Amino acid sequence: MFKKILIANRGEIALRIIRACKELGIKSVAVHSTIDADSLHVRFADEAVCIGPADSSASYRNIPSILSAAEITDSEAIHPGYGFLAENANFAEMCETAGIKFIGPSPENIRLMGDKAKAKEVMTKAGVPVVPGSKGPVGGEDEILGIAQKIGYPVIIKASAGGGGRGMRVVHSAGSLINSFLMAQSEAVSAFGNPEVYIEKYISEPRHVEVQIIADERGNVVHLGERECSIQRRHQKLVEESPSPAITPKMRKKMGEVAIAAAKAVKYKNAGTVEFIVQGDKYYFMEMNTRIQVEHPVTEMVTGIDLVKEQIKIASGMPLGFRQDDVVIQGHSFECRINAEDPEKFTPCPGKITSFNIPGGPGVRVDTAVYAKYTVPPNYDSMIAKLIVHGKDRAEAMSRMERALDEYIVEGIKTTIPLHKKIFADPEFRSGKYHTGFLEKFNKK
Amino acid sequence: MNLKEIKELIDLLKDTDVSELELEKAGVRVRIKKCASEPGRQYVVEHTVPVAVTHAANPQQPASQATPDAEVSEGASKNVVVVASPIVGTFYRSPTPEAPSYVEVGDTVKKGQILCIIEAMKLMNEIEAEVSGKVVTVLAGNAQPVEYGEPLFHIEPV
Repeated sequence: MFKKILIANRGEIALRIIRACKELGIKSVAVHSTIDADSLHVRFADEAVCIGPADSSASYRNIPSILSAAEITDSEAIHPGYGFLAENANFAEMCETAGIKFIGPSPENIRLMGDKAKAKEVMTKAGVPVVPGSKGPVGGEDEILGIAQKIGYPVIIKASAGGGGRGMRVVHSAGSLINSFLMAQSEAVSAFGNPEVYIEKYISEPRHVEVQIIADERGNVVHLGERECSIQRRHQKLVEESPSPAITPKMRKKMGEVAIAAAKAVKYKNAGTVEFIVQGDKYYFMEMNTRIQVEHPVTEMVTGIDLVKEQIKIASGMPLGFRQDDVVIQGHSFECRINAEDPEKFTPCPGKITSFNIPGGPGVRVDTAVYAKYTVPPNYDSMIAKLIVHGKDRAEAMSRMERALDEYIVEGIKTTIPLHKKIFADPEFRSGKYHTGFLEKFNKK
Repeated sequence: MNLKEIKELIDLLKDTDVSELELEKAGVRVRIKKCASEPGRQYVVEHTVPVAVTHAANPQQPASQATPDAEVSEGASKNVVVVASPIVGTFYRSPTPEAPSYVEVGDTVKKGQILCIIEAMKLMNEIEAEVSGKVVTVLAGNAQPVEYGEPLFHIEPV
């Protein structure tokens, strides 16, 4: 087992990893920018190293600075969290070269899954159902016209180097296809440095359901159920739940098997998430995320498995401590992402928090690195907390979330708590019969 | 901060109504709390280094230790430029272990003159003076790890 781990991240996920380290008896090293010197993750880590100024490219994404910090503290491993360098294959490789264990999948896993078009190609070969479309990146105008003709409109053009909802264009008819194709290519170059795009059938009223998998370094892969993530605004998730009200036990079993097949096809190691697009009883592979995700707590609540501890154990060479049969999904869990934003206009609201009353009581978990009198800086992500609940069934979990949202008092800045209260009061949300278009419709009401 | 200074702080608390004292000095934070209800008047001392932790060269010493051997001269706070580390790494005062230090306290340096080396990932980075002046203080210890922004020298500009 590792003696010391450096956490290459900040905020609530850095604190989450420090907590797992403490429980495993591992020393933790926090890295921080100059403006994060008073952060909670710095306070609770055993050691801290300032790695750069506020700008993340000079600090949290500064590879030499982070590797140097690991060197001077004698850290044996680095946990990248999510975002920042978590899915940077070069960083994972440099850790390997420096003799530091990267807690996550291999650089090859990251590289392959980071190329969305290539990932689809590999999955198709592995027999994983994919959304009908081009087999890989589109070569030219004739090719794209031909494929669109075959699969039928509407279609969606996506950047290979994109992902997470970025670099996508929907095309409704042949007339606007070529223009959209050329625009998509130039947008892809400026956003991701890579002009490659691929094309898929556009699934209307889709649901976004993802399956958590975990693999040790000996080829054992287990799935931990699914998460429903259709409540999104501009492709950013706001509310997640597990299990998904749209998935029947039969679908769950099949999707789990497919997710495991996907992971095995690429010799995946450590924690990962296979995202599916679901329409009725049909599901298609969309992309694979090669990191621990923001919404991992809902899976932890329903399975009782500590995902971050498992990541650390796997990286240290231990085999998975459980088999598929040992995984039992119990009860229901929801997560609300609390952002420092105006709940109606969604404009970011950084500033000083004057009061911060966290909800408590049975079945309530709050993952946050924010506290009263803390000033939320404008330089980073606006998410300040995750409010997670667990109940014996969906109804109890919903009433628990409503109760918890009422107790959550944040003053000094605006947050999305009022929006979450409205979502949980909404009949369509409560019925469980919603899709990714929900929030856009909801905001118009 | 040494034991004598901590004892002095405890004495300070003893004779007053102050129940808790937190003090930060040169990157070291000390918090002393009076446990009022206990008959024996116990004191809780928390000695933490919240921002920078220097790697103890001697493994027997406690893990958190203040920046060692800060050579401070009287006029340190007046009209000095702080040379802060631009990177994370290990601070060296001389180019090789056998060579003399690049600079000593009292030396006059010219803008662009090499003051020290910071080693990061096996690469030696030469740190240059941004101003001409006199080296008033050497704040970092030889072969000690330094973080981004850590003060290395005080230079009095001329």
